[in-house]
Amino acid sequence: MPLTPQQIEALRALLDRLIPEDEFPGALAAGTDKFILQLLTHACAAETPIIAQSLTQLDAEAIARHDLPFGKLPIAAQDALIYELEHNRTATAWPTTFPANGFINRLIDLAAEGFYADPANGGNRDASSWRMIGYNPLLPVHPTAP
Amino acid sequence: MSATASTYDVIIIGAGLGGGIAAGVLAEAGQRVLLLERGRDLRYRDIPGDHLRHHRLSLYGDNTTYDPTGHPRVFVDPQGRSRTVFPHEADYHNNALTVGGGARIWGMQAWRFHPDDFRMASRYGTPTGSSLADWPVSYADLAPFYERAEQEIGVAGDHAATDYAPRDRPFPLPPVPATPTGAWLARGAAKLGWNAFTPPLAVNTKPYLGRNACVQCRQCIGFACPTDARNGSHNTLLPRALATGRCTLITRAHVARVLTDASGRAYGVEYFAPTTPDSAQTERRKVHAATIILAGGAIETARLLLLSASAQHPLGLGNHSDHVGRHLQGHYYPVVSGLLPAGFENPNLGPGVSIATTQFNHGNPGIIGGAMLANDFVKLPIIFWRSHLPPDLPRWGLANKKAMRELYLRGIDLRGPVQEIPSPDSRVTLDAHIRDYFGLPVARLSGTTHPETIRTAEYIRARAEDWLRAAGAEHVWSSPMDLRLSASQHQAGTARLAADPRDGVTDPYGRVHGHDNLWVTDGSLNVTNGGFNPALTIMALAFRTATKIAAKS
Ligand SMILES: Cc1cc2nc3c(=O)[nH]c(=O)nc-3n(C[C@H](O)[C@H](O)[C@H](O)COP(=O)(O)OP(=O)(O)OC[C@H]3O[C@@H](n4cnc5c(N)ncnc54)[C@H](O)[C@@H]3O)c2cc1C
Ligand code: SF4
Repeated sequence: MPLTPQQIEALRALLDRLIPEDEFPGALAAGTDKFILQLLTHACAAETPIIAQSLTQLDAEAIARHDLPFGKLPIAAQDALIYELEHNRTATAWPTTFPANGFINRLIDLAAEGFYADPANGGNRDASSWRMIGYNPLLPVHPTAP
Repeated sequence: MSATASTYDVIIIGAGLGGGIAAGVLAEAGQRVLLLERGRDLRYRDIPGDHLRHHRLSLYGDNTTYDPTGHPRVFVDPQGRSRTVFPHEADYHNNALTVGGGARIWGMQAWRFHPDDFRMASRYGTPTGSSLADWPVSYADLAPFYERAEQEIGVAGDHAATDYAPRDRPFPLPPVPATPTGAWLARGAAKLGWNAFTPPLAVNTKPYLGRNACVQCRQCIGFACPTDARNGSHNTLLPRALATGRCTLITRAHVARVLTDASGRAYGVEYFAPTTPDSAQTERRKVHAATIILAGGAIETARLLLLSASAQHPLGLGNHSDHVGRHLQGHYYPVVSGLLPAGFENPNLGPGVSIATTQFNHGNPGIIGGAMLANDFVKLPIIFWRSHLPPDLPRWGLANKKAMRELYLRGIDLRGPVQEIPSPDSRVTLDAHIRDYFGLPVARLSGTTHPETIRTAEYIRARAEDWLRAAGAEHVWSSPMDLRLSASQHQAGTARLAADPRDGVTDPYGRVHGHDNLWVTDGSLNVTNGGFNPALTIMALAFRTATKIAAKS
């Protein structure tokens, strides 16, 4: 079950706050959204329905508080809402099996996994996060191992 | 069912660390060896450098398993709830299942056990409910084989400083280079009056035995080495075995059972293998030999002994006194993290482990045993993010991102393999319901370590905190230990050595009691697992057992 365009918009807006851009690229510039969408169609396909539902719920929370979907909120309101959900303070009813903080924590993990893993995973374009922190695997260009 | 003619003297099940050593020793002694390995013989390029799928962080898979779904296990948690688990999950208690075994991607710490690690019950007594016991083998018995392992596998170390156990011959390779963090920790240890030295690692610090030196990359533990400087049996004894022309290695060969006759003698094995080397189609085969060696690692060797039950041995081979699969142990690993002072010059080069203390392996007041403590391998960014950022930091947003760039090179942590106080209830049995790809019952892992282990682990955790604080770490944190089953990468103990058949599965040389020609050369033999990483001891025992078999034949 793929995400709807609205759910993808909520996902991207959320990622943009979880790992924002500053003097270094953030999650969106690094392609972390695509990494997550890829994971949700393959290794984590079983999680897709509940994540999709939670992204809709994220918009519902934003609408309940500010009459706007999450992606349309000002940054400060987005951050405040993430903080509230991280502490399970909700204005709408979330599924008991996957409460708001479970959803936020899962997305925090997924975002970091994409953003800080090797670029071949697709969420760390040009190794931008590695350059930011001063990491390079220093693998020889011509490995001599058989 | 096709049958292979009995053209072999010895069949070895598992081409991992211990199996590879047995193959080398026996083929060089003139025996015709068949080595059956369920994994593949992976080249460097076959083992992906995926930071989310390797053997230290296997979130969505790992980088060696050839069939991620066909060989589950069942894990029973301390509350008694069971579930089916797959190789990349922590509760599977995996080691790499490939030619070379765990050592294909290991951290290379190559420690001898302490002499008192072989006599734990004599030194400390046996706590109620535990199966803490002495080995029927002493340090002195094993010392010549430790030396062989160090020389023939290639261990780098500081001979003079590594003095917690007597040793005759220097290491064949100079120790890994000193690091600024190591020097900083050494000053901390000196303040506390503790010993501290460069730990022994099975790595080519210079070219050795025809292979290149380590180039100090930053993608070490859990991955294949780009220069093949990571030493194990796969690049030493195994190629030596193959070079004799007397050793045949068959990969993707999954042994299903050991065949025994009415007298208990093992006469062959049954295994599944691809019909042709690259085929997806498998067939069942039988092969015969005069000697059979089990080397599948502590979980799979126990499973095979149980799967090989027969009319004469309804409880499984070597299981007349109900020890097969019991005493499953690994190491408890307290991890203490902290921050190096701001501005600390940290080149962050591999392998990374560069200083250790053996101050707390024994002699801790009111505590049974202890652990060696060492700093850790170069950290991947995602592992640092997951486990080594200060716990009071926000997990997201600009503050988190900023902390990653300011703190990544300031991360430091100490950890140590705490000697477990084994429990007979921590065990491998056969699951009654779940079957593997070939229809065989899978391993069921249940029980926990003995609670005494927690006391030792907490003591060691406090010492690691002392060390980081004395060194001047800016912030020091760690988490308390909980009671659970610990086997995993250091899995051991499931076919324990015992002089008396009532006390264990194998005799002091690793021969299965009651089965004259059936032997074990893997971590299953370890009665206790030392306060050190176990692989050098597994190798030394494999050298000793294989030498014994060669002398008998
Ligand atoms: C990431 C990592 C880091 C490690 N770092 C260290 C370290 O620094 N120091 C240290 O001392 N130890 C370390 N270890 C542990 C070390 O690798 C193991 O202790 C060691 O490999 C165990 O040797 P073994 O012979 O008992 O089993 P293994 O090496 O696991 O070999 C068993 C082999 O048998 C095969 N097999 C199993 N069942 C069957 C069957 N039915 N038929 C055919 N083949 C079968 C398996 O595929 C495997 O290849 C590390 C392990 C890992 C995974
Ligand atoms: S640090 Fe050295 S031993 Fe480790 S993988 Fe890199 S080159 Fe190999």
